Amino acid sequence: MIRIDNLSYQYKNGNKVLKNLNITIKSGEFAAVIGQNGAGKTTLLKHLNGLLKPSQGNITICGLDAAKTKTSVLAKKIGFLFQNPDHQIFCPTVYEEIAFGLKNLGVQHSGIENLVYGAAEKVGIEQYLKTNPFSLSKGQRQRVALASVLAMGTEVLVLDEPTTGQDYSEGIEIMELVKELNVQGKTVIMVTHDMELVAKYAKRVIVLHNGTIIEDGPAEEVLGREESLALSNLQPPQVYLLAKRFHKQGFFKGTYTVEDMFDEIISYLEGEEDASNG
Amino acid sequence: MIPHFQRGDFYGEVRVDGKDTVENNCASIAYSVGSVFQDPEAQIVSSMVDEEIAFGLENLNIPRTEIAVRIKESLEMAGIPELRHSSTAQLSGGQKQRVAIAAAIALRPKILVLDEPTSELDPKGSMDVFNTLGKLNMEYNVTVVVVEQKIQYLAEFCSRLVVMEKGGIILDGPTRAILANQEKLKEIGVNCPPVTRLVDMLKKEGLYQGEFPINIDEAYLVISKVLSGKRR
Amino acid sequence: MPAMVEYIKADSFFHRLNPITKILWTFTVLIMSFLFNDPLAVFIILLSNLLIASISGILRQILPVIKALFIFSFLLIIFQIFFVDEGKTLFYAIPYFNIGRVTDTGLDMSLVMSFRMVATVSTIPILMMTTQMTDMVVVLVEKLKIPFKYAFMFITALRFIPTFMEEMEQILQAQMSRGYNSDTRNPFKKLVIIIPLAIPLLVSSVKKTEKMAISMEARGFASGPRSYYRKIDMRKTDYAVIAALVAVIPAAALMPLL
Repeated sequence: MIRIDNLSYQYKNGNKVLKNLNITIKSGEFAAVIGQNGAGKTTLLKHLNGLLKPSQGNITICGLDAAKTKTSVLAKKIGFLFQNPDHQIFCPTVYEEIAFGLKNLGVQHSGIENLVYGAAEKVGIEQYLKTNPFSLSKGQRQRVALASVLAMGTEVLVLDEPTTGQDYSEGIEIMELVKELNVQGKTVIMVTHDMELVAKYAKRVIVLHNGTIIEDGPAEEVLGREESLALSNLQPPQVYLLAKRFHKQGFFKGTYTVEDMFDEIISYLEGEEDASNG
Repeated sequence: MIPHFQRGDFYGEVRVDGKDTVENNCASIAYSVGSVFQDPEAQIVSSMVDEEIAFGLENLNIPRTEIAVRIKESLEMAGIPELRHSSTAQLSGGQKQRVAIAAAIALRPKILVLDEPTSELDPKGSMDVFNTLGKLNMEYNVTVVVVEQKIQYLAEFCSRLVVMEKGGIILDGPTRAILANQEKLKEIGVNCPPVTRLVDMLKKEGLYQGEFPINIDEAYLVISKVLSGKRR
Repeated sequence: MPAMVEYIKADSFFHRLNPITKILWTFTVLIMSFLFNDPLAVFIILLSNLLIASISGILRQILPVIKALFIFSFLLIIFQIFFVDEGKTLFYAIPYFNIGRVTDTGLDMSLVMSFRMVATVSTIPILMMTTQMTDMVVVLVEKLKIPFKYAFMFITALRFIPTFMEEMEQILQAQMSRGYNSDTRNPFKKLVIIIPLAIPLLVSSVKKTEKMAISMEARGFASGPRSYYRKIDMRKTDYAVIAALVAVIPAAALMPLL
């Protein structure tokens, strides 16, 4: 689905921002890319839709060579939700805003209406279709941006800091929508530094440090790699740190979410009860 | 002096230090209340840090020698004395916010009000800002009122939480007591530290009756108790 | 453009001069360039600018500016050089048809014009790169009695140029990610095609300015008389340099008499 081979990127002054990255992301995955500011996360993201071209190496996005394909064409396969919806909103109605991407992709006029309504409904903003997007709240504008991306029907969805600068509850609503989309088959790549968010939603975690990948694996493993995370000024999620204190006693290995820890406690206690009753 | 936490919008009258904010102009208020806002970029006026701090002091016509003293002082208070001669454009988000804090503190306000200062920052920047606020409160007795969402930091630094919704104050009290209101908080969409939520779930199952933990150390004790509780 | 006015931090002799001295220097260069009609003389003046830039440690930054100015002046030369009739013919631009006659006088005049332009205009970026913005403001406000608000507006506008350029870049990338394409030859389409870029930038600028205004008001901006942190003095070196500049003009004027 997305293959990155030996990707390196450097500025004109020779500053190497990405060094020999190798990543394969399969269809339907939910991956988080984390790392310090300046580690190269945003640079990596920009390679995914052709905004930046590799200095060395290859990237293939759903069969297209990202180095040789224009961003406007890659936009059919990979959709971006940026941190600031106000960098995109410019139309007088939400409807036109969502339709913008479709028009860019050359969708037939007759087909646009259905796609716009479909996307708006999925995101829960169909009542705002005739409203001026500038009059909506920030969380609602972010949903308009999400609907705009969804309407384009891409296989991959990339989120750039989905909860930074947002209200907590609105951020979670968007994430729940994204989770649903992932369950339905969309590949999701998320860049964030909110570890609790990673714990809650990501299945795979890639840690980027100084342009190289220092960790890449299932969330339950990577979230416990404290030294690697500390290098990037990150800490494991709170529940993991709590769970860690019980590792010596044999509890909660690999646990990092509230729900999992709760379930483990319950089943342990039931086991104990059975043992003492039986 | 106790730091507060608020979430939501202000409506109605705001009285500061006995003066009505509508009647008195901003300058006289500036002596009493320092403000720091969300966007690090949109607060900084100057290209150099020392000038940024000087800006507010110049506006209030404070003499030059006094300005120099206060620049040094406020940078120390904000924990960033080394940035005195730096260019503002090259600072990280966290550093910019600390400069904004220093610039506000230089006016020697009685209260420092911050509106989501770490919302755009990464974990390190957020930590630095909160540490700075903690220091200002503990060492320099500045009253800090911060509007924020990052509940784990608030649980660690604030001794009082004020929760607002739709223009009204719903909860107001010591941090621990407020976080105990899990149902209410969930209902209005306010975040809680994960460990607190975990213990809330355990409480609902009847497995625990004590106080809510608000950090890992406390949660450790609670969970230990719960795990050993049934071994009787 | 922003690089042209960005202050480059260094501690050179020129940096330490009072902005007024430097402004007087730009005027001196201007007058001197017009006093001479010999391309060599004006070129020497241009070289003196480069020398000053080099001593101030900004030579690397000033060279692209010089280059750009020369390219522009080359266009001026092209327009001028073929219209001068006096003097001996040096060569023809298109020899076979004898079109585009270039004479020695024509060449001289064009070179003088070009060197003159580069010399006089290049003093501005040199001034900007060796003077802190706030120092300029203080000088403008205190000595030239320009109201602070206007000087401040000017500086703040400059300070925000890089910020808005970055914002523009982000907006462009965000729109491109939605399939936005700005390739079009049609000039009318070109106007329409920038709307998805212009509107977000406009909205963002307005929002930023609002936030700035609140931040400034909260720190007592424009609430009354103002003090200044930066102190710009005229020192002995400044007076010495000014004296030299003033002396050099009549000296240069008298030179042809020697």
